Amino acid sequence: MDGACLELSQPIPGASRQVDALEERALIRRAQRGDRAAFEQLVRLYEGSVLRLALQVVRSEEEARDLYQEAFLKIYRSLGRFRFESRFSTWVYRVVMNVCLDYLRRASTRREVQAPEAEPGQVEFFHAVPDKRAAQNPEKAFQGKQIAERLRAALARLSPRERLVFELKHYQGLKLRTIGEYCGTSEQTAKNCLFRATQKLRGELREFV
Amino acid sequence: MNCRMTEEKLTLYLYDELPPEERAGVAAHLEECAQCAQASRELGRLRAALDRRAVPEPSPELLVHCRQALEEALDREEQSWRALIRSWFVVPPGVSLLRATSALAILVVGLSVGWTVRPRLASSGTPAPPAAANPWMGADLSGLRIRGISQVTPDPQTGQVRITLEAQRQLTLEGSFDDPRIREVLLYALRDYDNAGIRRDTLEALRGRGDNPTVRRALLYALRHDPNPGVRLEAIEAVQGMNWGPELRQALLGALQQDTNPGVRVAAIGVLVEHADEQVLLVLEELAGKDRNPYVRLQCAQAARERAVAPPNEVEF
Repeated sequence: MDGACLELSQPIPGASRQVDALEERALIRRAQRGDRAAFEQLVRLYEGSVLRLALQVVRSEEEARDLYQEAFLKIYRSLGRFRFESRFSTWVYRVVMNVCLDYLRRASTRREVQAPEAEPGQVEFFHAVPDKRAAQNPEKAFQGKQIAERLRAALARLSPRERLVFELKHYQGLKLRTIGEYCGTSEQTAKNCLFRATQKLRGELREFV
Repeated sequence: MNCRMTEEKLTLYLYDELPPEERAGVAAHLEECAQCAQASRELGRLRAALDRRAVPEPSPELLVHCRQALEEALDREEQSWRALIRSWFVVPPGVSLLRATSALAILVVGLSVGWTVRPRLASSGTPAPPAAANPWMGADLSGLRIRGISQVTPDPQTGQVRITLEAQRQLTLEGSFDDPRIREVLLYALRDYDNAGIRRDTLEALRGRGDNPTVRRALLYALRHDPNPGVRLEAIEAVQGMNWGPELRQALLGALQQDTNPGVRVAAIGVLVEHADEQVLLVLEELAGKDRNPYVRLQCAQAARERAVAPPNEVEF
């Protein structure tokens, strides 16, 4: 892959090997000429990190699968317009970010028109990392559950852009400059988003800090 | 560096996003200011709390499902009208956009001129051959490559259905539902066509035709697997005319328990409650307590209550 991009901390078994920039360029050209096999090879290069980000954002395997499909279909449809003026990875992640942002905007609208109740299906995915000590300490277990629920609610209250920037920075460890590129905005805007997200989370989670 | 500047930079400091000189300035200020040091510790604890949220790892099974779904979507995409348009308009790499646009402009102008002079040429030259009265006549669907379906219009008065599709050329098919070729196109539209509006219209056309086993299977397939919730809702409407049976009951129970859309789940309750047996009642009672949507929970509770007081002879199965 030709640039900084999201990487899985551990590769998913079955995920494809990496290719160098020249190989990738050749694959893109073949895919642009309608070679489906070449496009599928490109998908293999990025699918792990795309799926991981989708799961991070939606926290539901079914919806992550929808985001994965929507993102790669958009890439497939617009691949002919890619002119090698930016890194391919940046172009791919920009499409993926837009799909994620659209999802978060839709989710935010749904929350506004529906009862603001937590969905148990989501809570399942928002569980905290198990704390071994919690098993022997019911108070700690209760507090862990409480924190997980508050985290879910607090993150859900961020604006879609703040949420995405925060996820990419805190959980994926990307540099803000890269996040800016992926989101089609400046590093400064990404910094502002991170600052606002942190301030909001600090206010929401004050009792835990 | 003062407190206000430090506060602004603290987040970036903790996420290691400051240039070295600013980082050193913040660190020095934190050494000497107890209030800012306290704010820094608070932010550190916030980060630690946020780290307790699990980072989900995609499983190999999920990856396999994603690949399969994408492959199917790409197959549909390659047969769709978008692929056709792309094949016309994609500018190959190496060809400048300006040249491509100019070529397209020349093409459009040429077509416009041709269209403008067409009536004069037709009236002065050899008469055009008469259009076929019915383009459907003699068409062999087995060899037809369907690129898109633009309209499906059922006529409830005559019981006929009109389908406009684009194949090697655009055809308007008109015939009774008993015509196997009409049925073939409708079933193609329902299972393989990527326009949700057309799939909904097709379901409307198939409503009341569930006595045919192929249609029955197609309706249940749409109810279970169509990616669009509006189409799944329409499928629930369509299956209401079908004879009640275990397969239909299972499909509706599946929709109630697994469909991601609360509207579809509520619609499934509406049909199931009419045929509620012991198992359906159990599912309704269970979901009244645990469905993720409060409205669905309410509907389940209401339906379970209604069926619990219904006379036993009304309960089927």
